[in-house]
Amino acid sequence: MKMDLEPDTVERDLVALVLTVVELLRELMERQAVRRFESGELTEDQEERVGMTLMLLEDRMTRLRERYGLRPEDLNLDLGPLGPLLPRD
Amino acid sequence: MNDDLRYVYAVCRPPAAPLHADLTGVGGAPPRQLTHEGLVAVVSPVPERDFGREPLRAHLEDLRWLAETARAHQNVVAALATVTCPLPLRLATVFHDDSGVRAMLEDESERLHRILDRIDGHVEWGVKVWLGAASADGDGSGDSGSAAAASSRAPRSGRDYLRRRRAGNAAREEALARADVFARRLHGDLSRYAADARLHPVQSGPLTDAGSGRNILNSAYLVPRTWSEEFLELIGRTEGTRPGLRVEVTGPWAAYSFTDDPDAREEPHGGEGAARQDAGGTP
Repeated sequence: MKMDLEPDTVERDLVALVLTVVELLRELMERQAVRRFESGELTEDQEERVGMTLMLLEDRMTRLRERYGLRPEDLNLDLGPLGPLLPRD
Repeated sequence: MNDDLRYVYAVCRPPAAPLHADLTGVGGAPPRQLTHEGLVAVVSPVPERDFGREPLRAHLEDLRWLAETARAHQNVVAALATVTCPLPLRLATVFHDDSGVRAMLEDESERLHRILDRIDGHVEWGVKVWLGAASADGDGSGDSGSAAAASSRAPRSGRDYLRRRRAGNAAREEALARADVFARRLHGDLSRYAADARLHPVQSGPLTDAGSGRNILNSAYLVPRTWSEEFLELIGRTEGTRPGLRVEVTGPWAAYSFTDDPDAREEPHGGEGAARQDAGGTP
């Protein structure tokens, strides 16, 4: 992701940055949730609530992205030798 | 003209044939051959205002300038590779004047001869294995296949969503593991046709085309010219055996990846070489 602070793109760039951070947190939560789902430590009710929350979050993310014309791969930061912030696939 | 520096592209043994008369190098100047005691440096004059210490440092951060210079560098090395087996020098290797180049040939003579001996009669082939982004999600049969089919419909419930995520993760991991096995085997097979092999770090980052997928193997092979056909056939035979994976071959190149001193490297005899082979396609 490039941060050119031009007046007409500054909003989109800021949105991209914010959404990148949100997406990172969402993916971390999801990974954690899937792990707990696999280990069977959640009740069915909890599984349903967690799954539904993640599903809605993903849906909102997609809509926000589309609103600002951002592709999934736009929500990432290149950390140089550390690689990308979010896994690419 | 006298203020110009000397850009050195490559070192070789006296080539059998002269270079093309209309070949141009960095900055458009025609490269010429500077011979010193059985070694030839291919050089062209470059202006101090571009290649002096300070301006060069600034230029090296300019991607466009770098690309242009690299293209000119590669052009000369490639032309040279059609008549001999050159040892390409690093991009932007610059000396003060002809006598500076001669002094380098003199001082480094033994090392240069050792490397030239190794690459003599060889070409470099580059091989990359890519795992396509699409195949990572659901390639093949069983769980992953049904997961891919199911994901076209919206999840029915929160639990269904989690279940699909789990299946998707498992399929991705499986595809990655299979790709890794394939890459290791390919690297092992290809190494048998090569005098030497190098595993480069897999490509990622902003210069990688997002559409090309995930880089699993990025390697270079020093192959005797006479074996090139067999080497390529070996890669051709894997076609169709590995859905979801793409094998990209480039070459023949000058031996860019094999310019280190063979003697310095083979110090702990055998051990290091074996470790390198075993490293396989591990990123």
